[in-house]
Amino acid sequence: MVTSLIYFYFLFFASITSALGVIFAPKMYLSALALFLFVCFSALIYLYLNSTYLSVFQFILCSMFLSLYIFLLLKKIGRLNLELRLAPVSKIVVSGVFVLLFGMLFILYFMQEFDSSLYSFFNVAVEKSFNSVNFKHYLYPLSLVGIFILVTTAVLRVFLDNSLAVEQQKENEESKS
Amino acid sequence: MINSLLTVGLAHFLVLSLILFLTGLFGVLISRNMLRTVMSLFIMSVSAVINFTAFGYYCDNSMENANMIGVFILILSVIQTIIALVILYKIYQANEYLDTEKIKDKEN
Repeated sequence: MVTSLIYFYFLFFASITSALGVIFAPKMYLSALALFLFVCFSALIYLYLNSTYLSVFQFILCSMFLSLYIFLLLKKIGRLNLELRLAPVSKIVVSGVFVLLFGMLFILYFMQEFDSSLYSFFNVAVEKSFNSVNFKHYLYPLSLVGIFILVTTAVLRVFLDNSLAVEQQKENEESKS
Repeated sequence: MINSLLTVGLAHFLVLSLILFLTGLFGVLISRNMLRTVMSLFIMSVSAVINFTAFGYYCDNSMENANMIGVFILILSVIQTIIALVILYKIYQANEYLDTEKIKDKEN
């Protein structure tokens, strides 16, 4: 019992620390190393939740494949020792406030969900569903995935815009020369 | 209060995944390096998978649903990370840097 508790809190703080390490690491290789540790700790969290399959899957796919890929990419472009800088302080403060508000919103949502008040909204759709009892437990995590997809789409769009602008610039330079 | 801290339950994992999710979001918002933005996105996706696994363990009798959805999200997030890395490599080849502010300045 005590061992399990200590193990849980160790994983809790280790995963949060490594996630913070990814963001605040001063050098690129430290950031990549923190990501590798984060993947390992989260795989141990799955193991704690008796999800051996997911744990092994994440360990193989992410720590063996993805982290290695990131390290190799950094080595190839010679940026392993790159010094990382954060955004200006004003932007950090505004982002912090936004993230705090967002967190409070989620806690409210989460508490409401556990009072079953929000489920009444979904009941019309869920009651007729064959797998209704199982499905409704996953509504909250599904909302997280929805937000994750929105943020990913926004970020990838910015990346693509950048790469398109670069290509256009290249074409313009070539046509000029 | 102390009792709830000493008995590990669903709420503990939800708090953990919420903190990780917000950390990832914070990383996306404040980092200037594109590669670190991609890593922050990956942290967000892993937090969602932790959430699914916790719900599967505490609310669902079998872990099959949680495992299935978790693997699906993991595969998707790894694929999107790799696609983002490939795009980043292209941007790097053209610019020699991955700093968003510098790229913006160059565009202007």
